[in-house]
Amino acid sequence: MKLSENMNQVPVGPFHPLLEEAEYFNLTVEGETVVDIDLDIGWMHRGHEFISEQKTFTQSIFLVERICGICSTSHPLACVHAIEDVDNIEIPERAAYIRTLVGELERIHSHLLWLGLAGHFIGYDTLWMWAWKYREPVLQMFEIISGNRNHYGVMRVGGVSRDIDLDRVKELHKILDTVDAKIKMIAAAAPDDPVLKSRLVGVGVLTNQDAIDMCAVGPTSRASGVPWDVRKDEPTDAYGLVDFDVIVLQNGDVWDKLVVRLLETLESTKICRQCLDKLKTVKGPILNNVKEISAGEGIGRYEAPRGEVFHYVRTDGSNRAIRHKIRAPSYVNIPTYSASCKGIPIADALITLAAVDPCYCCTERALRVKGEDPDAIDFVKLSREKTERIRREIHGH
Amino acid sequence: MDRTDRTDDFLKKFEGKLTNVIRKPKRLYFVVDDKDIREVAQYIFRDMACRLSTATATEVYDAIEVLYQFSHDPSGCYFCPRVRIKDKKNPTMNSITPVVKGANWIEREMFDFWGVTFKDHPRPEPLLSRNHPNKLDKPLRFGRVS
Amino acid sequence: MGWYNKRLAKSIWVFHVSASPCNNCDIEILDLLTPKYDVERLGIKLVGSVRHADVLLVSGVINQKVAPMVKKIYEQAPKPIFVMGVGTCPSGGCCFNDSYNIVENREDVIPFDIYVPGCPPKPEAMIAGAAKLMEVLNG
Ligand code: SF4
Repeated sequence: MKLSENMNQVPVGPFHPLLEEAEYFNLTVEGETVVDIDLDIGWMHRGHEFISEQKTFTQSIFLVERICGICSTSHPLACVHAIEDVDNIEIPERAAYIRTLVGELERIHSHLLWLGLAGHFIGYDTLWMWAWKYREPVLQMFEIISGNRNHYGVMRVGGVSRDIDLDRVKELHKILDTVDAKIKMIAAAAPDDPVLKSRLVGVGVLTNQDAIDMCAVGPTSRASGVPWDVRKDEPTDAYGLVDFDVIVLQNGDVWDKLVVRLLETLESTKICRQCLDKLKTVKGPILNNVKEISAGEGIGRYEAPRGEVFHYVRTDGSNRAIRHKIRAPSYVNIPTYSASCKGIPIADALITLAAVDPCYCCTERALRVKGEDPDAIDFVKLSREKTERIRREIHGH
Repeated sequence: MDRTDRTDDFLKKFEGKLTNVIRKPKRLYFVVDDKDIREVAQYIFRDMACRLSTATATEVYDAIEVLYQFSHDPSGCYFCPRVRIKDKKNPTMNSITPVVKGANWIEREMFDFWGVTFKDHPRPEPLLSRNHPNKLDKPLRFGRVS
Repeated sequence: MGWYNKRLAKSIWVFHVSASPCNNCDIEILDLLTPKYDVERLGIKLVGSVRHADVLLVSGVINQKVAPMVKKIYEQAPKPIFVMGVGTCPSGGCCFNDSYNIVENREDVIPFDIYVPGCPPKPEAMIAGAAKLMEVLNG
């Protein structure tokens, strides 16, 4: 994009002050308003697809778990769905419940994590500490189920690798009750919070048409009124057997995304409770012995906390894939920035990016206020007057 | 919500243009010609209201295959048009980004990984290896398959 | 440096460099700050700028694109600076050693002083690592 005279570029990254991964944003601003946004990614590229094609199927499940730390159930789950899709392999009922349980627990922990970070990005650290405090019991549940806080290693082709015995189920039930109470508390408190409301309502709107055009998925699109959820559209595992609702809201702003996520968390606890109940009664094996995978193609997907995870596996009858394509949900959600960030003030852009912490040093260095916008002109006048005043004070005339 | 499977309608509409049709439950893979891909993609995306999940480029022994994966969300079906590019030295094909906005990044990625050039792409530059510090003599993935 | 190091050990300020990790180590590092582990009671604080840091927490196998940036960050840091590798990724490459896009020798990019293995290491393990570092600094 060609820069006109009163436009400026604000580079953000690749390492910005606080957290998360390195990424590079180039925001073009006019006055305080963002007119264009350009991304440079690839700082995290490790070549999973390439490595996965050198490994056997079981090894590749271990590998895809390490794509993302937050979605570390969704990727293996989508991967085993893809491999199972080649031969239409069935899994035992008990395994289905365990898979669903782990997947939904992950959604709870991921949404709470996002809520905390969103609070942190708008400078509301109380919410951050709160949400992350109540996320801890969920990690404790994971430790009970799989022995690790993150990266669970539960999924296998044809089932799951670990069973949950009855004592543990009871223990999990107890923890789930406490988590549920706390989430209900947050879900009741957050929507009434004046701080959150004033910062988030009407900010960064992604319209329904843009969401469809850019093929957005998950809560990002569901907050814009696109009602698709893989769990309902293609019910794999136990999703066909449990009862839950898909949350869809219409406005498409950051606030709606927050509400979608909060309500989804409550739905998830509902699903988890049903799964735990079923685990008490449904007995049987947890793993079908799969001897070989024939040549063919398979598509597997799963509704991760951020949207649809997509895996495509092409096999030639050996014990490894000849092509393994992985598409994470953020890959299609990130380009929507170009629609949702345009025309809003830079301070709001950064919560719309939501994963980016505003770097005020660079922001203020590059900002130059100028333009037709009435507020902006006001601002310019004020700042000029101030400069003049200071100059007079310094020089004494 | 209309959750019916529309595979049969689709097959009837494009009869003659699709070859190598592989039909599995809820999955449809077929080969289309490079010149037809935009029309097919437009029909799937606009008229059938499918969503582009992603696209996959694969290197096979005699060609480079680009497989688009469209998801028909109401029924959970997948429609996967495949384009085979015979020229492995300079693979070129028509971009579908003019009709499907969401294909922007994935086509740039395929250009980056496999060197496939997309005609009429609004922004033909690499996605992941832009500003890469090392001089890359070939696409990131091409020819690295052992 | 003994005198300085002893003062340093009282309150370590850390800066977090994520050099193509899988995100989980980063999350666990952030977890350290939240009420359950609360490392601020030990004087450990996460800072926003590398210029304020005493210790760099590096997570991830360093890929080729990010490597020059990591090097730059190390050069910008005020010396003495200590580098802690968090996770199996910096210590052993985890499962990414076959990749075409990672640097061959991570020690060339940034000299690590201490490693905390684990995928991801538990927050307790990270605290233990920090405690070991403090022990060394105290002489
Ligand atoms: S050590 Fe494990 S958890 Fe940490 S970044 Fe590497 S793969 Fe992820």
